[in-house]
Amino acid sequence: MEALNSKHQANTLHCVTTIASAGSIYGGLVLKKFLKEIQSILPGFSAKLNWTSEEASCSQDISGVTPFQMIFEVDEKPRTLMTDSLVIKNFLHKIVMVHPKIKFNFTVKVNGILSMEVFGTKNEPTMNLSNGIALVISCQHYVRPKFGTAELLCSRIHPVLGHPVMLFIPDDMAGLGLLGELILTPAAALCPCPKVFSNQLNRISSVSIFLYGPSGLPLILPSQEPPTTTVFKDTSYFIDWKKYHLCMVPNLDLSLDRDLVLPDVSYQVESSEGDQSQNMDFQGQTLLLFLFVDFHSGFPVQQTELWRVHTLLTTHLSAILTESHSVVQDSVQVAVDQALEQHHQAAKDHQKLQVSLSVAVNSIMSIVTGSTSSSFRKICLRALQAADTQEFGTKLHKSFHEITRHRLLPYCSCEMKQQLLPEKNAEQSTEDAHENSSLELLAGTGEQVENKRLKRGCLRQGMEETRAFHSARTRSPSEAAACRTKPTGASLTPSGSRGSPGDSLEDSLWQQEVSNLSEWLSPGPEP
Amino acid sequence: MAFAPMGPEASFFAVLDQHKASLLATLRRGGGEPAGGGTRLASSSEVLASIESVIQDIITSVARNEAPAFTIDNRSSWENIKFEDSVGLQMVSHCTTRKIKSDSPKSVKNFALILKILSMIYKLVQSNTYATKRDVYYTDSQLFGNQTVVDNIINDISCMLKVPRMSLHILSTSKGLIAGNLRYMEEDGTRVHCTCGSTAVAVPSNIQGIQNLITDAKFLLIVEKDATFQRLLDDSFCNRMSPCIMVTGKGVPDLNTRLLVKKLWDTFHIPVFALVDADPHGIEIMCIYKYGSKAMSFEAHNLTVPAIRWLGLLPSDIKRLNIPRDTLIPLTKRDQMKLDSVLKRPYVTCQPFWRKEMEIMADSKMKAEIQALTFLSSDYLSRVYLPNKLKFGGWI
Repeated sequence: MEALNSKHQANTLHCVTTIASAGSIYGGLVLKKFLKEIQSILPGFSAKLNWTSEEASCSQDISGVTPFQMIFEVDEKPRTLMTDSLVIKNFLHKIVMVHPKIKFNFTVKVNGILSMEVFGTKNEPTMNLSNGIALVISCQHYVRPKFGTAELLCSRIHPVLGHPVMLFIPDDMAGLGLLGELILTPAAALCPCPKVFSNQLNRISSVSIFLYGPSGLPLILPSQEPPTTTVFKDTSYFIDWKKYHLCMVPNLDLSLDRDLVLPDVSYQVESSEGDQSQNMDFQGQTLLLFLFVDFHSGFPVQQTELWRVHTLLTTHLSAILTESHSVVQDSVQVAVDQALEQHHQAAKDHQKLQVSLSVAVNSIMSIVTGSTSSSFRKICLRALQAADTQEFGTKLHKSFHEITRHRLLPYCSCEMKQQLLPEKNAEQSTEDAHENSSLELLAGTGEQVENKRLKRGCLRQGMEETRAFHSARTRSPSEAAACRTKPTGASLTPSGSRGSPGDSLEDSLWQQEVSNLSEWLSPGPEP
Repeated sequence: MAFAPMGPEASFFAVLDQHKASLLATLRRGGGEPAGGGTRLASSSEVLASIESVIQDIITSVARNEAPAFTIDNRSSWENIKFEDSVGLQMVSHCTTRKIKSDSPKSVKNFALILKILSMIYKLVQSNTYATKRDVYYTDSQLFGNQTVVDNIINDISCMLKVPRMSLHILSTSKGLIAGNLRYMEEDGTRVHCTCGSTAVAVPSNIQGIQNLITDAKFLLIVEKDATFQRLLDDSFCNRMSPCIMVTGKGVPDLNTRLLVKKLWDTFHIPVFALVDADPHGIEIMCIYKYGSKAMSFEAHNLTVPAIRWLGLLPSDIKRLNIPRDTLIPLTKRDQMKLDSVLKRPYVTCQPFWRKEMEIMADSKMKAEIQALTFLSSDYLSRVYLPNKLKFGGWI
């Protein structure tokens, strides 16, 4: 996406958005039809569409030339551009959560200042769902790691699949020509993994629902407002919370300004005082609920047909779900029950461990303190380098917990054999993935790869939107991929705009540009 | 003994006496009692030192940042058990072991409970006091869960430290009974005089502590079931067969009953007979007295009495005495499995007559309780069956 100050309108950016594919993903698309459909949506965006010739688009990618390219042009207010970018980023992020093979390079260039982000989950642990979708199960995408606890233990979620259910299509939709079946498959997981909070028992504090349509595309388009339809407003539609002694209220405070995948629907536990604790999501666990709606007909489904079903679902999902309430709730409830069972089991194991270790330590202490053999006591104290029995007790307790904690906790569900890809250290895998993303990115930049890891949080001095726009991912490993170059008139491709690393001139120019941009985007009175 | 009831004439015991002489001869040929292996009575200071050594190992592991673990012999694995005719089932010297780890969710509780009981034993030994297994359980019944957990851990500790349970100052409430021609003094000085009357005496809890055992008994009869034992007392069997001793473990014998039988054998070398039901369960119980159990094989030397003979009820007796078929009970599937398992035990190969009896049972697919003899007459067991067996050597 390239934005330049509009020559015709003050305080407006002229944005050119190019969508290109490095692989042949357009297969099956009837381009003319697709173009027509896109154009029918575009008026809402006040954009115009340029399309490369169909013949050129269809040609094989022999020379590495992009075979598929769409260009949109639009005039936007800077603030709108920021929000749109965040929405797009979330959309891309959401896609890669179920399509780990796909990698998106998202580049925004505002008046020559380049910001690049790579979305990809290759090499991350996934869980294969029955419909062929691979769900990424790294916790980091769903919640922020709790400082000081999460990083060492299990960093995965452990989704439990519900049974697929056929959705009933309401009578008034019968005329829409949906020739096939809509199948919903729920998956539930607690995040972070219950094992993570080894030192404290956690309760569920929020629920995040992610909706995916056929082909694993996010169902509710992120450009839309959070759903206000009855089904999603009703917090007990999917799950009977009374069963778990919880009271849920819709959570409307969903900020795009985060490096997490934004749920389509979110609920949070209403605290006993009646106020909604703002810090709930940092304290408790989040129940993740993935709802995958797939389309099956007796024949192989064409891409265009799926697209049509997808569009239909985005508008009629609520009605369809209302019609299928009991089957949907049954399936979801089974998956949630199982996920919570893991939670309860973990809590039970944790309690058992605490009691056992305490008994063991107290028993040893009883023998050591009760012994009349001074040599025995001396040996024991010396072994733990303790001055007296009190210190010995403290050290023994601490050491015992330290030794056993890591070995005891990440077991059972963390060693899921069910449908996971070969076990890998999640932390490592994640790191690898980001490393790879960076490398891939760098590979495209020629020799000056160092420059890719330029300053982070480039626009922190700017206003809120600016910060959101550029540096929202300051805590994400993906931020390594964020890069920028000095303002030049170079092409949109990353390779075309590199300065040399450590170049002080480049640095000062960069700072200057940041400063200018911040000023320029500052939320002052409209001129 | 004073006031000893009149028993049969001396000639009645002629075969028994011969049997006793043959047992003694066997003992002499074998160089006396088998050398004590496995566990041995240990002094208090030895037990304390052993426990301290265990604790020291744990602390050393912790200091090295290693998760401590207990290594305990696999008591319940047949591969760790050898059979020796003179001892019974005993553990092999280099047996396989299992680890009770502190860093395994499955074993961390067991690890803690072993330490808990070790600390209790340490205190008992230090203060020279005793507690029963039940006492141990009730110190924290919620933590232990059930009595079996405590019993198993105590056996594990006994096996790990290579000292008998008694040396750990842990007793068990005896369930066994004793009657007949026997007097002894308990550790606390209590004098016990077992009689041939209808009241039996409970087997003492501290067998190692009993002293001054006195008896003129010609034989010791182990009775499997309490009901049969009571019936024999009511029928004045002890008086009629005087001098003799009767013991019952009321089913599967506890350690004290087995220790007592062993002590009586070691002290007096009188013939010991078993009266059990003619069913696989009865045979198994008799085998526990004679050859020991898998779980306690590490203490076999203190518990087994290989001189025990099977007096009745023999499966062949059923046919011989024409006991009607309708008083017999068909073998269940479980019985058949148990019988097959006993037939495969290593000691059966040196007991061809036992094997034959078991094969008779397997072929007939029927079992019989001792009570089946009441079909012949209500006191057939005490008046006819047992006297005849004892007089004419009807044991195997």
